[in-house]
Amino acid sequence: MTIQINLNQPPFTFLSNEQLEWLTRRLDLVFFAAGATILDVGAAAPGVYIVYKGVVEEIDPADNRVFSQYGKEDLFDVRAVLESGCKHRYVAVEETLCYLLRADDFIQLVEQSDDFSVYFNTDLGTQQSMVERQDSSVSEFILSRVDGDVIRTPAYVSAQTQLSRVAEMMFEKKQDAVLVRNGQEIGIITGTDLLKATLLGDKTKQSKAVDVAQFNLIEVEYGEFLFSALLKMTQHQIERVIVRREGQIVGLLELMDMLSTFSTHSHIIAMRIDQSRSLKELVVAAGRLETLIETLNGQGVKITALTELITTLNRRLINKAFELIFPERLRKSVCILVLGSEGRGEQILKTDQDNAIILEDEHDKEAVLPLLQQLHQALLDFGYPPCPGGVMFVNDMWINTVEGWQGKVKRWLESGKPENMMNMAIFMDAEPVCGNPELFKPVKQSWQLESLRNSIASARFAKQALNFETPLTFLGNIREDDGKIDIKKGGIFPLVHGIRSLAFEHAIDECGTLERLELLKQREVLDADTVQGLRDALIFFLRIRLRQQLERDGGERGLSQQLDVNQLRSVDRNMLRHALHRVKKFKQLLTQHFHLDSF
Amino acid sequence: MAEPYSGDEVVVLDCETSVFDKKKGELLSVAAVRVKGNEIFLTEALDLTIRSDAVTDPDAVRIHYLRREDRLAGIEVEDAIEQLLAFIGNRPICGFYIEYDRAILNRYIKQLYGFKLPNRFIEVSELYVKAKRRHHIHEVHLDLRFEGLAKDLQVPVVERHTAMGDVISTALMYIKLTGFRKT
Repeated sequence: MTIQINLNQPPFTFLSNEQLEWLTRRLDLVFFAAGATILDVGAAAPGVYIVYKGVVEEIDPADNRVFSQYGKEDLFDVRAVLESGCKHRYVAVEETLCYLLRADDFIQLVEQSDDFSVYFNTDLGTQQSMVERQDSSVSEFILSRVDGDVIRTPAYVSAQTQLSRVAEMMFEKKQDAVLVRNGQEIGIITGTDLLKATLLGDKTKQSKAVDVAQFNLIEVEYGEFLFSALLKMTQHQIERVIVRREGQIVGLLELMDMLSTFSTHSHIIAMRIDQSRSLKELVVAAGRLETLIETLNGQGVKITALTELITTLNRRLINKAFELIFPERLRKSVCILVLGSEGRGEQILKTDQDNAIILEDEHDKEAVLPLLQQLHQALLDFGYPPCPGGVMFVNDMWINTVEGWQGKVKRWLESGKPENMMNMAIFMDAEPVCGNPELFKPVKQSWQLESLRNSIASARFAKQALNFETPLTFLGNIREDDGKIDIKKGGIFPLVHGIRSLAFEHAIDECGTLERLELLKQREVLDADTVQGLRDALIFFLRIRLRQQLERDGGERGLSQQLDVNQLRSVDRNMLRHALHRVKKFKQLLTQHFHLDSF
Repeated sequence: MAEPYSGDEVVVLDCETSVFDKKKGELLSVAAVRVKGNEIFLTEALDLTIRSDAVTDPDAVRIHYLRREDRLAGIEVEDAIEQLLAFIGNRPICGFYIEYDRAILNRYIKQLYGFKLPNRFIEVSELYVKAKRRHHIHEVHLDLRFEGLAKDLQVPVVERHTAMGDVISTALMYIKLTGFRKT
């Protein structure tokens, strides 16, 4: 008799095959009439119920509030089994059939499996990261960084060491290169250098290391993406780079080591972008970004790693296009900003273009305009749809000099009009990506002035976060519209904008919501629990939105904000409800903090 | 076994046979579960395949999916009957078209032990007809096939035509028809 529910989902996937097999033989069936009380307050639970068919509501009998709802494949009430007795009442809303895993058996599994037990004893964030981690653990080249796992500890020789000794050392240490100390200077000798110098050149075994070593070292920083190191190697046609950490040499990164550790070839996309010599070639590279996202997401790569990677690649892409279009003379006298989610680095699939430009000199405008048109066209070709609100550097409103921008920001904030507040919101997340970033600094300072951040401006700004209702019912369940919710309006925007408002009030420099959260915690504006909860919620929203966007077809799927609640796995549905509750609570916090009731 | 039963459990069972014939049908598999109130003790269920090389009737009304290979790996029919009797005890026996299973089992039991099952038998379709009659729906308007009952009672049909699958559906029908008596 096979079990009629899908056990191939968390938390069951934390069990080994043997444990799962055992579990399926330890399930009884219990059948409840509509309206029957399955568990009552204070009652000891006979075990954990897993819903096979029907709907169960968890009710707080004190005020008859529905605390939660359980459908197919949901579990309840773990707490009652692990702790003592039931805190709420569980009622079958309709005729309900549940599998029952007896308490003793459940506890045995919890004791046997660490992951399984941790899952049930942790908060939303940990559960989520366990699910993410568990979905796959494929280590992808493109997400890997230069760290202790891939670098070798270098062997050193002195400048006066004889080449015969250098060769011996390479052999002993099984290294194909050694570093040479010559006073303060560090050089390198590779196996190839030795061969060339002795067999092809005039050097002998007795020659000194310093005569053969090369002193113009190519270096990478510890912690950089591996593909950056690979790009450096290909640009310089070398097979190893020096790794530095806080100025100190900590190792050597060998091409062979990298290639043997990683067999996949997704790094090619980064190389493609970098080596493109025409916009046409860039378009091809851009087209492969989405495939990359699909692959990585399919492998369960963490959403935070994914956003960081995609942000890096997106910026490389636009920067490369900028270099191809703008003549060198003009590159230093403009600064192109990406705004909104792109600026915050929270974009994954391509969404509409939000960008602006700062000119050093008003007189350059005429020369720059046609180039901006070209760049805009290139972005369209890469697959970034135009911004419906016209927030783009091809529109006059989003082209300004430093002084022009400073004046504009002042007017936006002083007017207090909702549309200006929204412009400010988009602009506040600006990040310079091409040209001269120095131009941006005085612009950014213009909204970090004490005088502008008076409470009225902050409150008007913050108020926008309350524009949309949280899709939760009065009773605390997810309120769907035809089985769908708008995840941007309902979850992402209020969270992101609320944090942005607090960042505005406290003149926080960072753009990313997660970074802002961290700083707000450090400055004790928000407590650690709230920060953790909002962080988990945002990551969760991004993750499930991406998953559903990827299931759709078409080039503009990145624009879709509709979340099909019924498609979610039960574990995700539960997390969604929790996350939305976090947002709702956060909105209450904002209302109090900025006294939004009086605006 | 002959003692009258005083508990509140029943055993739901189902037999699969080589041909659908009370006299000739050879027992191929038998499944049984204990039901108490609204609980089905799946963990202790009996699911036996009998070693048999009986030629199966391809047109058998009840199609079972027991291949000859599976059956050859089964246990001796004597063992199966013994285990089944121990499992049932003196509990009432419930099933769908239980008359057929009763006849098949009694044929074997008579042969092996010289007696017939003294247990009370409960026919699920009879419970169904009675329940409908209380709502003034006459038998002639009812679909009394297994699927018909399952559909009307909104009971899931799982792995139809395996003895165990049918037993579970039947047990669910029984629980529903006896009013979800909670233990």
